[in-house]
Amino acid sequence: MSSAAAATPQRAPARPFYFNTSAHLLRITTYRADTLAELLDALRECPEDSIFQHTFRTLQEHHFIREGFSNDFAHWVLSACNEPKLAERLASVDVREFTSVAELRERFVQIVDSYLQPSPGTAQRPAEETFYFCASDIVIMPTSFVANTMQEFAEGLRHVSVHSIHHHFIEARLRLKLMSNDFSQWLHEDVGLTEPARALNRIDIYTATLEDVRRQMVRIVERALT
Amino acid sequence: MEPLKQQSPESEQAAPELSPHQPMASPQVLPLQPERRKAPRTWETPPAPVPPPHLDDYQSIVGPAVLDELRFLAREVKARTLKMVNSTAVGGGVAEMLNRLVPLLSELDVTTHWDVITGGNDFFEVTKAFHNALHGSDYELTRHAQEIFLMYNEQNRQRMQFSEDVVVIHDPQPAALIRARAETQARWVWRCHIDLSNPHPQVWGFLRPFVEQYDAAIFSSQSFARQLPIPQYLFYPCIDPLSEKNKELDDSLVQKVCDEFGVDRSRPIVTQVSRFDRLKDPVGVVQAFKLARKYVDCQLVLAGGGASDDPEGALVLKEVREAAGNDPDIVILDLPPWCALEINALQRASTLIVQKSIKEGFGLTVTEALWKGKPTIAGAVGGIPNQIIHKLTGMLVHSVEGCAYQIRYLLTHPEFAAQLGRNGREHVKENFLITTNVRRWLLLLRRWV
Repeated sequence: MSSAAAATPQRAPARPFYFNTSAHLLRITTYRADTLAELLDALRECPEDSIFQHTFRTLQEHHFIREGFSNDFAHWVLSACNEPKLAERLASVDVREFTSVAELRERFVQIVDSYLQPSPGTAQRPAEETFYFCASDIVIMPTSFVANTMQEFAEGLRHVSVHSIHHHFIEARLRLKLMSNDFSQWLHEDVGLTEPARALNRIDIYTATLEDVRRQMVRIVERALT
Repeated sequence: MEPLKQQSPESEQAAPELSPHQPMASPQVLPLQPERRKAPRTWETPPAPVPPPHLDDYQSIVGPAVLDELRFLAREVKARTLKMVNSTAVGGGVAEMLNRLVPLLSELDVTTHWDVITGGNDFFEVTKAFHNALHGSDYELTRHAQEIFLMYNEQNRQRMQFSEDVVVIHDPQPAALIRARAETQARWVWRCHIDLSNPHPQVWGFLRPFVEQYDAAIFSSQSFARQLPIPQYLFYPCIDPLSEKNKELDDSLVQKVCDEFGVDRSRPIVTQVSRFDRLKDPVGVVQAFKLARKYVDCQLVLAGGGASDDPEGALVLKEVREAAGNDPDIVILDLPPWCALEINALQRASTLIVQKSIKEGFGLTVTEALWKGKPTIAGAVGGIPNQIIHKLTGMLVHSVEGCAYQIRYLLTHPEFAAQLGRNGREHVKENFLITTNVRRWLLLLRRWV
């Protein structure tokens, strides 16, 4: 047993944890960019669900990649615009530091704008391919997993789809408006396991696949159980 | 096509009758013959169709949670009815996809009907010309062609019933059926499977007013879409992991197919599967292979069809054979369209798959290769960049030299190649399987409940 877990009193959960999941229908919007200047304009004007699609949601679509994939904007800036410095800055944006899409949009706008200010020529150089802004319509669904105990919670974590992991672990902060996730919130508030809740929230989603993330979560919960 | 059953007496002795639809119980590995068959043994007629799988058959592939999601989404649209309309019941990717999609939706209690429009040769000549023009070819749109198009659409409109809740019209051929809309309560969706990124202005100008009357349009790639005043959705094309072309195969069958076609599995195999069509650049693949082989030992397999029923295909095949010369490491196979199992086996036997297209639709042969976990090198055109994320799920190339380099690199870096293969398979599992496509249709229907 870890010292952190040992120091935390474990009680029966005050409320069950309902594992949900989400599905997404992709729309193609009318926004597109053939230059970095057009990317900046579209970043400012596109609907919020476009920003969500190309950041939060793309992590789910590419959940199996362990390295080198952060968000669609960074990927396009590198592959179609050949601007590695800007791509690196965009890739460093961690969606988990944002509790609203508006804040996230502002961060991207700020990065692109500050990069283009000193070199307007770069802004107008045509990209090798167009960036098409898409958007997600989200449907949230229940799963058959409900945890009334920590054992059932671990069982749910082992068996739900990666879509459910993404829903509770990554998308959740937009709903919660907190720098946290549904799993950590439940462990902290309903089970009284503060340290495991913190440990779970520290898992790095950018250097792991969602299956890796799932395994790390299960290990944390199993340690808390022993 | 040459009669494929014709064989030399030596080849009769070398390989017993291959049953491509039943893996042999006890594999017999045969020594390679010094000379390959010019006309490898395959069936001359299509095999009997295999009954479509049930939803539960996919559980071992996608997991129970994905099927639970489908069942949940289906409950909300249960009792809704859907009609699919396209221009052919057999042959072509759309019919192949509908053959699997329609039973799966019906199994989920979304009653789905499938109607095929009828028309004379004059109609299909016009729609073939429209198809090519929408892909950017030159065309003179005459009033006569427009009249033929509208006349057959009108005939079909009068013949068909549209009592379903949602009517989905596939591709341009039946697009003018939207004129029946006023007589129905249905939502109308135009599912466009072709690349409209650079359409012939006159032809698109003629079709566009019809398209704008639909409730929504669906495209296979964001780059294929047009600016339209109606909602547009992105539905990637998909493959069926249980189809003859994609299902898991017993290694003994893979071995038998390689023996039959004279492919040596003890050496690296680089394969391109595609019609003999200039847009697939098979000659460029031969050139890339020859450049790469200066540094790495490998064989090239070019497997495809289209040379028997298409004069241009026969010409391209001749060019490919000339480019290959008498190279014993290049195997060129002109196969009939029903050799899905043989194609599957060749893909599975391959060390690398190449799809060096110059222009491409979505590129489902890439999807098939990725699904089989094969490191894949492909031209950065059409829908291929949706599937191949450079250096993560495969390698994108823009030239013969680039292709040659990537062949060399992947053959000499097997761990990196294997990682690409693993990522590629996961990418297909997440985004390009028939089960994902069923989910998209259910999500779309749900919008109109």
